Amino acid sequence: MTPQAMTPPLAVRGLAKHFGGLAAVQGVDLDLPAGLITALVGPNGAGKTTLFNLITGALAPDAGDVLLDGARLGPTTPRQIARRGVARSFQDLRLFDHMSAGENVLAAIEPAAWFWQPGDAAARRAAAAAALADTGLTAAAGALAADLAYAERKFLSLARILATGARIWLLDEPASGLDPASRARFVALLRAAAGRGITVCLIEHNLDIVTELADRIVFLDQGRKLAEGAPEAILRDPALAAIYFGDRA
Amino acid sequence: MTAYLLNLAQLAAIFGLLAASLNVLVGYGGIFSVAHAVFFGFGAYAGAQIALNVAPDVLLVSAAGGLVAGVLSLALALPALRVRGEYFVVASLGLQMVATTAFTEAEPVTGGLGGLVGIPPPQLLGLSLASPWAFLAVCLAALFGGLAVMRLLMRGSFGRSLMALRDSESAAEAFGKNVALLKTLAVALGCAIAGVAGGLFALQMAFVNVESFTLDQSVLVLAMVIVGGAGTLAGPLVGTLLLLLLPAALSFLPGIPPTEIGAVQQAIYGLAMTLLMIFRPAGLAGRAQGKR
Ligand SMILES: Nc1ncnc2c1ncn2[C@@H]1O[C@H](COP(=O)(O)OP(=O)(O)OP(=O)(O)O)[C@@H](O)[C@H]1O
Ligand SMILES: [Mg+2]
Repeated sequence: MTPQAMTPPLAVRGLAKHFGGLAAVQGVDLDLPAGLITALVGPNGAGKTTLFNLITGALAPDAGDVLLDGARLGPTTPRQIARRGVARSFQDLRLFDHMSAGENVLAAIEPAAWFWQPGDAAARRAAAAAALADTGLTAAAGALAADLAYAERKFLSLARILATGARIWLLDEPASGLDPASRARFVALLRAAAGRGITVCLIEHNLDIVTELADRIVFLDQGRKLAEGAPEAILRDPALAAIYFGDRA
Repeated sequence: MTAYLLNLAQLAAIFGLLAASLNVLVGYGGIFSVAHAVFFGFGAYAGAQIALNVAPDVLLVSAAGGLVAGVLSLALALPALRVRGEYFVVASLGLQMVATTAFTEAEPVTGGLGGLVGIPPPQLLGLSLASPWAFLAVCLAALFGGLAVMRLLMRGSFGRSLMALRDSESAAEAFGKNVALLKTLAVALGCAIAGVAGGLFALQMAFVNVESFTLDQSVLVLAMVIVGGAGTLAGPLVGTLLLLLLPAALSFLPGIPPTEIGAVQQAIYGLAMTLLMIFRPAGLAGRAQGKR
């Protein structure tokens, strides 16, 4: 392997964030290897979402660095991160509720703020239509996001990311609450994305989905990375299970 | 009677344009301003000065009104856009109060409390528009021209970006949108069109003074947008017709002593608006079952 191929598309080093007296993220190191699905697991309040917020510039870290393709980013904004090919979803979805599903996806791939967009409008419409088709939302394209069913809303949040063509996806509990059929479609979608070389990091509480989907698990608790490795190894660790299921001694 | 109706129709067209311009901020951008009359005023004073000192040409006057209001909106609204959401309402309230005072005090430019009087009858490229029918045609052309521009922009990527940040600013940013620039452009566009409406207003009234550009006026225009349906193309027009024509219609109500008309109007207004927001929160032209 060339050194280039071994450099993870996204990595963090020594990332830390305090909220008042609460250390939400403490000195976390993390590599997201190219084309793999990394699951970020840990109990409520472990700092998973905060880690995403730090990576995407939604929050400024107290210490530490984010590295894209091995290069330190320095202080950044969500906008700059997005333009570097990192897309994220939100635990509470944050759809554009009063726009149609189709407009939601289109708006996600029209970054220019001026009265027009550079580039090929037809290609953008095609990309949006493809993302809707891949997520099973073609029939719902004209419906307001606020009117969609629960699973459709989850898929719409994924469609927005799919359409961007981002190479790194950070997904915050994208599968929570999905029915079994939707879950199977979701797993297939993510597998296909990883197969295309997209680097995925997802936060997920459901260990069945994690087992099914993840190539690697990173275990976070109280802002610290406690373990990382193959799913079987992590999930078999009784100490981690105790923390995860809340019956710590 | 015809003269009265023509006058009303001209005003309706001008206020329709004004309400539609505020809709860009409020309805599409989610930027709640209670200072829109300020920019209407900038346009009216600028237009009046041009009409008095250069020529009362509608194109010249409305261009000057739009330019002055658009440019000043950048200077004044930019600092305020740094604050978020509900704080912007308060910031715009402050702006409205400062501007009302400034309009009153800046006598050399605004004529102070007395205003600017004796604005000559409007022209278009040397043709007289003194006929109320001709000026009505100009007002309608401005209204529908303005609506066409807004429709084009709001149905395009600019409108989508604006609505996206209205619905979730953080998600819009996460998809690479320049939220500050989008808001700035929305404010400049909305205020420039308000300035055009102001220029026409100066020509229509033949005089301008501060009373037309107070907080009351800003609130009335905001009510037009919300009652009609914020974020819809037709909404502001519907709201304008209702809120402008309702008082006119009420003045024909029999059995109300003339001294009480004002109070009765206020009461009916207030009641109608409260009921509307309860039963149709998205406005008359908005979706029937308002979500949220
Ligand atoms: N903006 C904030 N201000 C103050 N405290 C915060 C903020 N964001 C998160 N926290 C706190 O930081 C800790 C970590 O929160 P975070 O949302 O990262 O947890 P999480 O691992 O995503 O949990 P969950 O599984 O419940 O989503 C929590 O105690 C939370 O209350
Ligand atoms: Mg979380």
